Amino acid sequence: MSNNTVGRKSSGLDKVFRIALYTVLIVVASFYLMPFVVMLITSLKDVEEIRTGTLLSLPASLHFDSWAKAWSSACTGSSCGGISPYFLNSFQIVIPAVMISTLLGAINGYVISLWKFRGSDLFFAALLVGCFIPFQVILLPMARTLGWLGIANTTTGLVFVHVVYGVAFTTLFFRNFYQSIPGELVKAARLDGAGFFTIFYRIILPVSTPIIVVTVIWQFTQIWNDFLFGVAFSGFDTQPVTVALNNLVNTSFGGKEYNVDMAAAIIAALPTLAVYVFAGKYFVRGLTAGAVKG
Amino acid sequence: MANLVIDNVKKSYGSTEILKGINISIKAGEFLILVGPSGCGKSTLMNSIAGLEDVTEGRILIADNDVTYTSPKDRDIAMVFQSYALYPNMTVEQNISFGLEMRKVPKAERDVEVQRVADMLQIDHLLNRKPAQLSGGQRQRVAMGRALARRPQLYLFDEPLSNLDAKLRVEMRTEIKKLHKKLGTTIVYVTHDQIEAMTLADRIAVMKDGEVQQLGSPQEIYDNPANLFVAGFMGSPAMNFIPTKVVEKDGVPMLELATSTTVALPFPKPESLKDYVGKTILLGLRPEMITEPQPHKEGQPFVTTTDVEVEVTEPMGADTMILTRVNDAEINCRSNPMYPAEAGSIIKMMFDTSKAVVFDQKSGRRLDL
Repeated sequence: MSNNTVGRKSSGLDKVFRIALYTVLIVVASFYLMPFVVMLITSLKDVEEIRTGTLLSLPASLHFDSWAKAWSSACTGSSCGGISPYFLNSFQIVIPAVMISTLLGAINGYVISLWKFRGSDLFFAALLVGCFIPFQVILLPMARTLGWLGIANTTTGLVFVHVVYGVAFTTLFFRNFYQSIPGELVKAARLDGAGFFTIFYRIILPVSTPIIVVTVIWQFTQIWNDFLFGVAFSGFDTQPVTVALNNLVNTSFGGKEYNVDMAAAIIAALPTLAVYVFAGKYFVRGLTAGAVKG
Repeated sequence: MANLVIDNVKKSYGSTEILKGINISIKAGEFLILVGPSGCGKSTLMNSIAGLEDVTEGRILIADNDVTYTSPKDRDIAMVFQSYALYPNMTVEQNISFGLEMRKVPKAERDVEVQRVADMLQIDHLLNRKPAQLSGGQRQRVAMGRALARRPQLYLFDEPLSNLDAKLRVEMRTEIKKLHKKLGTTIVYVTHDQIEAMTLADRIAVMKDGEVQQLGSPQEIYDNPANLFVAGFMGSPAMNFIPTKVVEKDGVPMLELATSTTVALPFPKPESLKDYVGKTILLGLRPEMITEPQPHKEGQPFVTTTDVEVEVTEPMGADTMILTRVNDAEINCRSNPMYPAEAGSIIKMMFDTSKAVVFDQKSGRRLDL
């Protein structure tokens, strides 16, 4: 409807439609923003104000002490050091897991798309099944495996779990992206004397930026937000922030400190928000790249 | 520069035979063209020479060395691809020198070589650009430059011109020919364009269904096709195939031609038609052998003038193609554009059978070899 107005003098009716359109958009946007706004203003109130005021009433004065408490002194279970150590745990898990799973996905995709071997399509199909396996199914076998490998209850163990689970997705991403790269490129490089890894490193990786960005965002979000693996396979000191957040909310001495809960929740969500804000543009671009012939 | 021997090469995927025993041998400096319809196995053969695909049986020799099981990089060959396959992340200069770098040629020598190739192909001003910033013709040049830089023993061209527009294609065709004359390199060139094949090749191998149908010089293949397929594939417009009854006149087999009147055409090798008297064979006659009556040819043997009815004319500038019907088959004739030929009118045309060829109607076998 709004497209019709292009290149034409806007009549009264068009104006009405336009206003209606923006109204709808604003209503929908604020609906989706509402929970975050509530979280934010709640985190800035003090406990007394939360109890007496309504959900949407603005704080009388700004209290940042709930943030400080959430970060460094709130109790999660029996320890009272805030969520900061677990926040760091999460980074310790996410960074290697994202890097390793992305790299493995890139190599897998490179082989499956450009170095086809007998049964490579079957191999890919089998790998795809991995995308559809529910988390719960692998809990027990993975627990056994981690124990057997001697990395149970460690961040290394969680890195391992996320790499294994993530490779199916990262391979899918890279394979689809590399599908649009002409096979002749690899042939030319082989004739030029380049080997398997030289071709990957010198020719294929440099053109993979869009899909690397997509994969990194995807994996970062998935692993950072994971709760089930975190709660099942982490030890007392190696919990990721999502698990710590849960413990923080469920641990109460006396009254519920909603402001601390909200501050902790926002802190826990910040890294994924940041990644999306900074790289979201590439994410959309990368997802559609290759969809329309690269 | 090296010779190339393809010795009984076979290739199959499972039970499908792609190459059914190819035997081709070319001398050092020779320009061989592999031509044929899509799916005839020419690209597979090319990839086998390059070592990008393994052969199931047979041997490939470059410079008298058996390279059947040698890896592509050790065969000392360079290839120009249909899609050019330029490395998109590298500049033109890096593209050209990549092969040298992989072979551990020192930087100074690489620079000299890049400069030499750039001068030769006049791509000097493009050296710092990325492939995406080049036009189709420029990419084509860079792709050739990349092949030339290593000075390999053997060059492979896989339909290098088919992505260019018509005008550029003709230009590049001439350029490739000049380059070959200048450098005297051994080239194997795949195309499905029979004009490219005719103009460029020292020898042409016409392929179909994984077999070489004929291997010979362009003129041999044009004048003396081994079978119906080769005759129909080479030449544009294609050779006319006219179902013709063999009749005997004064003890000599002749070819009966029915238009509005019926005449008998003489044939240069009547003895090859002996067994076919009373039967119908396929007469192959190139369009340029059916022309307006030309005074200087009058009275020559194997020249017959008869009436035909014009169905359609197609003026092409230098010639006018006249479409007519003989023995109930549609045929193309090449006439002088000044020769009056109205659609629907009856005109005189001259049939020159001195270069005619005859085929068995069923098997497509040539009868007069």
